[in-house]
Amino acid sequence: MTNKKIFGVTALFNDPNAIIAAASKVDSAGFSKWDVNSPYPIHGINKAMKMKPSKLGIITLIFGLSGTVLALILMWWTMSIDYPMVIGGKPYFSLPAFIPVTFEVTVIMATVSTVIAMFAFFFGLPRNTHALHDTDYMKKVSRDHYGIVIEAIDPKFDERTTLEFLKSLKPISTEIIYYPEKEEYPMFEPRFLGFLFGIAVVVSLGTYLMLNKLMYIEPFDWMDNQAKIIPQTGSEFFADGRGMRLPVDGTVARGFILYPFEGQTNPTEVLSNPNFPTKENLELGQRKYLTYCSPCHGNFGDGDSRLAGQFPNPPTLHSERARNFQDGMIYHIITVGQNVMPSYASQVTREQRWAIVNYVRALQRAKNASDSDLKFVKAK
Amino acid sequence: MSTDYSVEASVVAGRLSLAEIEELIAKPLDTKPDKKFFIALTISGSAVLIGATCLLITFLFGIGMWGNNQPVGWALDIVNFVFWIGIGHAGTLISAILFLLRQRWRTGIARFAEAMTIFAVMCAGIFPIIHTGRPWLAGYLLPYPNQHNLWINFTSPLIWDVFAVSVYFTVSLIFWYTGLIPDLAILRDRTSSKIKKTIYSIFSLGWRHSSRHWVHYEKAYVILAGFATPLVLSVHTIVSFDFAVSIMPGWHTTIFPPYFVAGAIFSGFAMVVTVLVFVRKIFDLQNIITVNHLEKMNKVILATSMMVGYAYGMEFFISWYSGVQVEQFVFINRMFGPYIWAYWIMVSCNVLFPQLFWFRKIRRSIPAMMIIVLLVNVGMWFERFVIVVTSLHRDFLPSSWGMYAPTLYDAGILLGSFGLFFTLVILFTKALPVVSISEIKAVADGARPTHHRGEHHD
Amino acid sequence: MTYQKKDLPSSISKIGMALLAFGLVFGVVAFFVDHSRAVFNYLIAFTFMISIGVGALFLIALEYIVGADWSVPIRRVVEFFAAIIPLLAILVIPLLFNMGELFHWSHAEAVADDKILQGKAPYLNVPFFIIRVFVLIGLWSLFYFFFIRNSKKQDSSKDQKLTTINIRLSAAFIPIFAITISVSAIDWLMSVEPHWFSTIFGVYFFSGTVIAALAAVTLATVLLKEHGYLHPAMTNDHLFSLGALLFAFVNFWGYIAFSQYMLIWYADLPEETFWFMQKWEGSWAIFSIGLIIIQFLVPYIVLVSQPAKMDPKKLKFISVWLLFAHFFDLFWLVMPEMEQLSGGYSFSWIDLVFPIAAVGIIILVFNMKAKKENLIPIGDPKLHRGLDFHL
Repeated sequence: MTNKKIFGVTALFNDPNAIIAAASKVDSAGFSKWDVNSPYPIHGINKAMKMKPSKLGIITLIFGLSGTVLALILMWWTMSIDYPMVIGGKPYFSLPAFIPVTFEVTVIMATVSTVIAMFAFFFGLPRNTHALHDTDYMKKVSRDHYGIVIEAIDPKFDERTTLEFLKSLKPISTEIIYYPEKEEYPMFEPRFLGFLFGIAVVVSLGTYLMLNKLMYIEPFDWMDNQAKIIPQTGSEFFADGRGMRLPVDGTVARGFILYPFEGQTNPTEVLSNPNFPTKENLELGQRKYLTYCSPCHGNFGDGDSRLAGQFPNPPTLHSERARNFQDGMIYHIITVGQNVMPSYASQVTREQRWAIVNYVRALQRAKNASDSDLKFVKAK
Repeated sequence: MSTDYSVEASVVAGRLSLAEIEELIAKPLDTKPDKKFFIALTISGSAVLIGATCLLITFLFGIGMWGNNQPVGWALDIVNFVFWIGIGHAGTLISAILFLLRQRWRTGIARFAEAMTIFAVMCAGIFPIIHTGRPWLAGYLLPYPNQHNLWINFTSPLIWDVFAVSVYFTVSLIFWYTGLIPDLAILRDRTSSKIKKTIYSIFSLGWRHSSRHWVHYEKAYVILAGFATPLVLSVHTIVSFDFAVSIMPGWHTTIFPPYFVAGAIFSGFAMVVTVLVFVRKIFDLQNIITVNHLEKMNKVILATSMMVGYAYGMEFFISWYSGVQVEQFVFINRMFGPYIWAYWIMVSCNVLFPQLFWFRKIRRSIPAMMIIVLLVNVGMWFERFVIVVTSLHRDFLPSSWGMYAPTLYDAGILLGSFGLFFTLVILFTKALPVVSISEIKAVADGARPTHHRGEHHD
Repeated sequence: MTYQKKDLPSSISKIGMALLAFGLVFGVVAFFVDHSRAVFNYLIAFTFMISIGVGALFLIALEYIVGADWSVPIRRVVEFFAAIIPLLAILVIPLLFNMGELFHWSHAEAVADDKILQGKAPYLNVPFFIIRVFVLIGLWSLFYFFFIRNSKKQDSSKDQKLTTINIRLSAAFIPIFAITISVSAIDWLMSVEPHWFSTIFGVYFFSGTVIAALAAVTLATVLLKEHGYLHPAMTNDHLFSLGALLFAFVNFWGYIAFSQYMLIWYADLPEETFWFMQKWEGSWAIFSIGLIIIQFLVPYIVLVSQPAKMDPKKLKFISVWLLFAHFFDLFWLVMPEMEQLSGGYSFSWIDLVFPIAAVGIIILVFNMKAKKENLIPIGDPKLHRGLDFHL
């Protein structure tokens, strides 16, 4: 055998009392880098080896409490700040209802952190390259023996004297453990390259299949294809194959109010004026009249607008006939039109039409003022 | 037959040596599966296929394939969920609680019971997911940030269930795996097959049986057991909250949390006994899983049966005492209404038959205990059925009353869950040691040093 | 090392007598000064005695049924606390003559007006109540008598069959205990507000009872061990299990209390919530918050670490604390129902008198038994293993 590096020396026992006694002696001899291996934890070995109690509980405490705090903050923020909703008449922050989740998060944080901390940080596992693996010592100690190993890095270690010391403890057997030969793993070995290639194929194939195929298959397609009709698509449900349908007869647009006297030239009934001729109403009426009515009827209702001559002149609004119209009749004429005058229903809202009516009435009164009216105006 | 109380009873019978223990427990892992194994697997596998088919039909055609209706909106889906979660509780109790109580007899059965917990929770977890109707959107149950600022309702017991069952599954898995590591190391060191050695090496993480590791390991085990105990109590408590936070008569009653926990332990232990009776025979483990173990479990079954009986009695008394008419009606309806048969199956299987365990001979007789524990499993399923269905089918408004009957698909899925459970158990027996080798070695005769702690007593 | 029986110092009985005398004198005064308040406080002290006595008997039965060894050396201490049970038959009498103060349902006019109370009348009526009281005390006394007689006989005979008999007695006792302790809780504590109901109430009282009994046992054990009255081979390891059990039951109490509260809060049904709302009136709110802190948070933090569970100093402190906490719990359950305190708590010296008397009685009973009996069960076949116990 080539000159291998020594890891340590071991001794095997097959009785728990013997190992306890031996361990005490090793500890008294002043060694520090040594260990006892056993197939199960031996009662009393901790004392014999003078091992301090484990500090793992501190990790548990820290992470457990963090879990508690994090859970409470999460629930407080989501339920009271970000999107508060009144559920069951309870306050946004209901501690009794938050307790179960808090408890569960505490437990999971505490347990997972403890186990991971123990294996990864306290033990340095997973690690299958330790010198004791695959030795006769390890096989025995796994099965039904108890062993002591003193490592070469211990300051008091000397291959000969330490081995003698171990023999003095009356073990079943002793063994010198060497570090295993380092295995070379060449990078470009065909099997390894094939393995990498295989992984690359599997991952890319898998990703492609997932993103380009699976995501489009119901029900994994995130409701991309739904059994509803969107505009401009067809539908087998209807006989004419069209998805888009006309509204049913008699469908009325939202906000639409049917004008009961539509199409009648001489209605027997008319609507009554719901608006008082307040200052605002008359000002509104004036604005709308000047915009929509004055081009034909003129600014004061005389029928002498700037379109006179180019366009059939409307009759004056101050005629006997016009002055005797009911308010609703004037409204009717604006709404359905009369002779050459078209319907102004699409240009002027109902509100505005009534305001115009009030304004026209004001004009008519102005042009046919009574004596008391004149006196009233003169006095101002 | 008089016991000598001054001597502590052996946990492992037959004065087995450490090597013999190892050989005995590892034997199924070394031998190829035999015909009986494949027959058993075929039976349980067929049950799984039937269940999977029924599930597929449910996914394709919707929850309408089940018997759920108005007013019975929750039926076999929830009954099966609570049933399986309950079964899982025995494992953690044996593992964690008996560990904290320093009951050494748990060592023969802990590994198996923990595995049963994990399998039972897997079976249980299927039900809340499938009963949502669109199980592929199950991710919506978790609090992930999204553009709509939508969050889950943390105050809903259904969400508490999501957290509780996930945490329970994870912690049980971790607890089980942590306990497996020394055993995997033992298997690694005794196997001659290269593939097995690689697998065991990877999963044992390179465990070296070092005492400097054992000291932290033992502490971690105590911590895990210390957390698993309140966890297991909390899981079935939270499941009971699904019902108890409502205003439904028959559901809204404060005793539900401890009552459900006791019932879970009760049904769980019954299932453990059911399976262990077979396992110890098939794998020749009679010296490790002794009749004493079974007797102790039967005592626990007796005790929890009486706790369940107490809860039945208290619920009934308080429903009268409360003077609330709907409460009183629900209990009369349970006992004498259209589901009278379910109620009396429940009471006889859960309270009456287990009383036979007062007799030592029956506690220690394998055929007798098999019958009783099977009846307990049936009775506990019916308890959940009675609680869910009878409370829903006739509640406040008589005009809303209705009846419920499960469909073929309900039954198929239930059968499938049993199939899944037993398939996993059967596979487990051939893949991993069913008893914890290192723990049994620790409690074998002669495993503890016989040191004297000074002179004392007389 | 052998056990030598030592007599407890005479100061113990002197303290007990002093407390009892104080309690008797001022108790009688209290009856005349504020009758209602005195009766309510008597009730609280009485249920506290039930907790200690019957709880101790439960602990004895538990030890036999689970086959525990660590507790065998201290079982006598537990038995001495259980000795209160026969006394309950006498202590209950003043309460039975004052039921009108405590229970609305005992007034015929109140029941005649109230349909709900009429419905409960088959259970909540004075004759049946009195019968129940004496049946319960009788049952408890019967079991107490047999347990103790066997244990005492074993001191001299060392007969293992007596252990077998006691194990069988325990198996019978525990279900009976479950029912009787629940009935006690319902009768004495829940019916003070006869419109309210909760199926978990028996379990709630049970959890508090076990904590109180354990606390008393722990306090006595630590004190006796420190002063050399118990077996010299006992170590702090024996105390660990007591600490662990205390911790476990504090958690259990928290769990039961939370369940009861949260379910009633969540469903928000007025016929149930009013009971908790009454305990939120005025300064009672401070009591309610205080209960969680005193009965759960502080004991949890004190006992959570492994070393704390076996530390004699911490155990003594937390035992006294938990005994006070159980009184506080019973006080919180019952006092807000008293008419004059319904708006909030106001202190009165009467509230201190009866707890003091109760403690005095317990000390006297304990002392009396300790004079007559060995402080450890020297004939128990498991004593050896029990003393050998270590972690």
